[in-house]
Amino acid sequence: MSLLEIIAGIFEGFRVTATVTALGLLYAIPFAFVAGVLQHFLPGVRRVLVTTVIEFWRSSPVIVLLFVFYYSLPAFGVRMSAMTVASLVLGLNIGGYGSQAVRAALQALPHGQVEAGLALGLQRWTILLLIELPQALRSMVPTFMNQLIQLIKGTALVSLITLTDMTYRAKELAQVEYNPVGIYSGLLIAYLIICYPVTVLGRSIEQRASYAESKHREF
Amino acid sequence: MNFDLEFAISTAPLILSAFFTTIWVTVVSSIGAALLGFTWEILRRLNRPLRSLMRFVIDAIRSTPLLVQIYFLYFVLPYYGVTLPALVVGVFALSIYYSGYLAEVFKAGIDAIDSGQFEAAKALGIGRADTIFLVILPQMLRNIAAPMGNYFISLLKATPYLAVIAVPEMFGSALDIASETFRYAEPVLVAGLIFLALAVAIAQAVKGLEQRLLASSKR
Repeated sequence: MSLLEIIAGIFEGFRVTATVTALGLLYAIPFAFVAGVLQHFLPGVRRVLVTTVIEFWRSSPVIVLLFVFYYSLPAFGVRMSAMTVASLVLGLNIGGYGSQAVRAALQALPHGQVEAGLALGLQRWTILLLIELPQALRSMVPTFMNQLIQLIKGTALVSLITLTDMTYRAKELAQVEYNPVGIYSGLLIAYLIICYPVTVLGRSIEQRASYAESKHREF
Repeated sequence: MNFDLEFAISTAPLILSAFFTTIWVTVVSSIGAALLGFTWEILRRLNRPLRSLMRFVIDAIRSTPLLVQIYFLYFVLPYYGVTLPALVVGVFALSIYYSGYLAEVFKAGIDAIDSGQFEAAKALGIGRADTIFLVILPQMLRNIAAPMGNYFISLLKATPYLAVIAVPEMFGSALDIASETFRYAEPVLVAGLIFLALAVAIAQAVKGLEQRLLASSKR
């Protein structure tokens, strides 16, 4: 097989990779915003509770979580399809990281924004939705782009719980013929084609946000 | 199949016996990743063509999944006659993967150094190598202690990936038990709980360290 044929074969798994990514985002984005906002606003014990949930999803290794949800939970009577497990675990893991970006962005806003809103007689949640979040969104975007790449890369793990994504296809091809160089180079290229544009886009957004490039120094 | 608590408890010592492999892999890979990452970042700053090349290399490393990089090294190296133990391949893969992220951390750390430092070094006639290692490196390290530590923790959480190439770290041992006994639920859950406990312990340690650093910087 030529490299092109290999890459074409690998991209037969693109649908699964894309589906897990999309479903993962459906878990990640709401979780990031709800958990981040709650962590920012709730007082005392309830805040500790939210933090615990976030930390559970953030601090466990995602590969171990996938196996626990897929292999251990059925022993307790909780059965989910591989696709559900994959999108839930990958999504909430990424969402946990995202929630910290949401919280940090909200905390970084000058307090005068909220006070001005209150002085104008706006409801607290109106201030959150119409004043705080739109401004905070700008500083969240670079982190979100990085998390999107992490999510796409994380989908390679679903090949371990029987989903036929791009990595799974590559392993299938590896069983058909002995050509490790071609097949695994092809697999690297396949992910590079998907993720590299996102990486470059994320970098340019980040630079626009921080003007870091103007400080680049050569020795 | 029901959850067998006694069996689960009996797997714990076996999994924990791989604890030091996990720690060893984490420490060696962290050092490898830091050295590689610093090398990428120095190369990126030497001249213009290298700057574009290294930027692509770093982005490419960050745009491909760790799982795929592990497979690539594990299956492609033997094809060229390089047969290394799985443990060594795993350490290489983790070092390479995280070097991409650490290079970005180092970049930010160097950008944050006042430009007067570079000018002063030049005015004093300090050579390029001495400037890098005696003037820039120490100041950079102080700037990036926190983000670098985060990536080391993230690396620790990535060690279970090595189970896919049968490295006997904790998760690999759990999967070994699973394939010998045909029971996945118990060893996988026990491994998950151990990793969770480890993550909580590290989070507490980091919190303590941060408070101490804060206190010492206020002095």
